[in-house]
Amino acid sequence: MNLSDKIKIPAQVMARQVGAETVILDLATGTYFGLDPVGARIWQLMSEGKTLSEVCDAMQAEFEVSREDIQRDVIELTEKLKAQQLISTA
Amino acid sequence: MTAYSLAEARPQIPLGDALFHQWIFPDGTTWTQFYRAASGYLLRFPDLADFLVTRDGRTVSCWPVPSVSDQSLQHLYLNQVLPLALSRQGKLVFHASAVEIGDAAVAFMGESGRGKSTLVASFATTGSRFLTDDGLAVETVAGDWRVLPSHPSIRLWEDSQDALVRTGARKAPPVSYTSKARFLAGDDIVFCEEPRRLQGVYFLGAGTSPAPVFERLQPSDALIELVKHSFLLDIEERELLAAHFDELSRLANRPIYFRLDYPRRFEDLAQVRRAIVDHVHAEDTTA
Repeated sequence: MNLSDKIKIPAQVMARQVGAETVILDLATGTYFGLDPVGARIWQLMSEGKTLSEVCDAMQAEFEVSREDIQRDVIELTEKLKAQQLISTA
Repeated sequence: MTAYSLAEARPQIPLGDALFHQWIFPDGTTWTQFYRAASGYLLRFPDLADFLVTRDGRTVSCWPVPSVSDQSLQHLYLNQVLPLALSRQGKLVFHASAVEIGDAAVAFMGESGRGKSTLVASFATTGSRFLTDDGLAVETVAGDWRVLPSHPSIRLWEDSQDALVRTGARKAPPVSYTSKARFLAGDDIVFCEEPRRLQGVYFLGAGTSPAPVFERLQPSDALIELVKHSFLLDIEERELLAAHFDELSRLANRPIYFRLDYPRRFEDLAQVRRAIVDHVHAEDTTA
């Protein structure tokens, strides 16, 4: 994944908040992924069509976190989601 | 409501390329093929029957293969086709059994073979009324979730029949594709004909625990389990899919989900029933 990438979410992949977590689910395959509130905010920003770099900008403005840390978290999360085919790069 | 009609028997002709989903047994045999049709969906059970379900799920027509018995067709309709038709009507339908405890319904969910029917039969043969042995339909009324009664019968394998059901209990005629017997509700197996508020859902474990064990589930885990055990006819229709997921998410947010494991020994079932009733009463926030 590169910071200039935008994320594409397949039609059958959906996210819903339940309790303190957000669950991402591929209803065709049954693959799922749980996100904490920080992960859920990254997901929301990605699903708005922002590049990963823009996602990092927004996260840095909202949370007290270094650029280095947030970039690492965003790349790590998107790599995991891509490996499970819950997202692809646009 | 769903209107059901039975047409003349006919051989199954090839259906072209509108196949969009299949259910395959672990041994590779095809159990069900799902085709898109002009007015809805055609569900083919090879060498048994074709069922046409209208898009709104309110009408089902059946074309049997010649020489398939009426009992087999009714069995297929009630257990396989009707739950899918109800899901088209916006109802949530799960692979689950349910029993009445107090004035509410308690559901047992799990994969085939986990003991849903045996557990519910154990309640129903000892005085607690059952609402369904599979294909559990749930609807919301004024913000509350209610379990709807389904067909008043329970399907059991032979060992469960011998252990639980009195000789002479009313039985439906046998069907061609399973050795499970269907017992009809009556004085021996009591049935609840009215909808009941859903008070608890127990996901059945593999039976490795030496005694009944209950573990509360977080909403996110409950949602995954509910998705796994729900019937859904068309996974490619995004609008309906989103509505289905929304409903499941709302349901998952309730604090009513537990994992339940217990030893699968018939002689322990009385103890398991007592443990479940005690747990239901202890967790009842409305009492």
